[in-house]
Amino acid sequence: MLVALAPRAARAERSTLPLARASFHVVDAPLPHPELLAAIPRLRRYARVLAGDWARADDLVQETLARAWEKRRLWQPGTDLRAWMFTIMHNVFVNMRTSASREAMHVSLDADSEGAEGAWQIPVQPQQFTHVELGELLQQVGRLPAEQRETLLLAAVEELKYEEIAAVLSIPVGTVMSRLSRAREKLRRMADERPAALKRVK
Amino acid sequence: MSPVPISHDDLQAYADGQLDGERRDAVEQALARDASVGVRIAAIRAQNAELRHAFDPWLAERVPPRLIAAAEGPTRRGVLARGWPVLAAAATLVMGMAIGWFGRDLVLQRAGTPTTFAREAVLTHALYAADQRRPVEVWANEEAGLARWLTRRMGTQAHIPDLGPLGYTLVGGRLVAGNEKPTGLVMYENADKQRITLQWRITREKADASGETAFRYLHEDGVGVFHWVDDDCAYALSGPFERAQLLGIARVVYGQLAAAPKVPPSAPPAAPAAKPPA
Repeated sequence: MLVALAPRAARAERSTLPLARASFHVVDAPLPHPELLAAIPRLRRYARVLAGDWARADDLVQETLARAWEKRRLWQPGTDLRAWMFTIMHNVFVNMRTSASREAMHVSLDADSEGAEGAWQIPVQPQQFTHVELGELLQQVGRLPAEQRETLLLAAVEELKYEEIAAVLSIPVGTVMSRLSRAREKLRRMADERPAALKRVK
Repeated sequence: MSPVPISHDDLQAYADGQLDGERRDAVEQALARDASVGVRIAAIRAQNAELRHAFDPWLAERVPPRLIAAAEGPTRRGVLARGWPVLAAAATLVMGMAIGWFGRDLVLQRAGTPTTFAREAVLTHALYAADQRRPVEVWANEEAGLARWLTRRMGTQAHIPDLGPLGYTLVGGRLVAGNEKPTGLVMYENADKQRITLQWRITREKADASGETAFRYLHEDGVGVFHWVDDDCAYALSGPFERAQLLGIARVVYGQLAAAPKVPPSAPPAAPAAKPPA
């Protein structure tokens, strides 16, 4: 059950992590440029998990950056910029997906339509230093239900706190935890179904 | 006192480092009583580490110009489009350029200068040294395991220098996706929380023709890098320091690496002969 949508302003101000870092008081309150640049790789990574393909992911990041600039006065210097940007990105994504599905109803879906939720196009990347399992792991993550893999990425890979994830996804903390445990259980089961020869021995 | 029951949510939160107070105490008591609890927690953490390992290479990818431009904000969105000829003509990059070190690579590519290991090392250093949550993948308290892990994954013997005499403690290490080969990274920190990284990877570049090891220096955007090639391996020591200070550290690092027993890259990693410290 989704929590009722809170106004965007309230969500943005709910960032909890204070950073011990000087804040610059400028009249126009621009966003801190080095931190913004440093956040881009992580935003791209999460955007790929949301969007499922690389090009749309970069569109999503670009739109997120534009929206962040529009709403820059809502960000409190000293709070976690990354968590705030993830929240914006998730909202942008939900809006994009909602309007896309409205359009899709008027267009006949062909077999290669990329509008399918959960469509996951991972190009094969040369991973010389890892076992083939890690490419498989990416595929398995792609097979999780979308809401589970989004939650899992924010928790296991981005290591946001459960409260931060709840704010990013606009869901209660309890829902974060139950999605997480379902996602983890599913991945474990998929791992158990791998051929024995490829199982990693710890 | 009868044991407090712990829930699956407790286990998960503990594994994720997000459990405090009496729930945390309850899990730790359960851990002491029941080995299977530890196994389940370890399984969650191992899965987390695998996920990070699978998804971290994406962080190392070059950022497209349009995203750098979007980060500039509305008033400066056109700077890259309009400024390219001017920027590309610059032979050396001056600190304080508006587009910062992300855009540096792009400018270098346009100017026909290849991205080198040293420049990548600057990028990698800046990316991870600033990270508060997980600057390294394996922490210093598992140092013996760290060296073994890096050795196994890179196919070359990893030696972790001891920089304690210089006032630097080991934070830990990680693997970074490189252009062709993986790059090993170990990070140190001093009392002022300044961080330095030592990165290395196998290279086809030959060391200096004279047979001597040449230290080269690069300084970009507040990060200095000393880099050298020795025995088919390229090294880069990075930190937010001026040349003289960084050179002192680089000399100590080089000395320790030179003194360490050499194992050729093609040899299989040595089986652990000594027991790990208790």
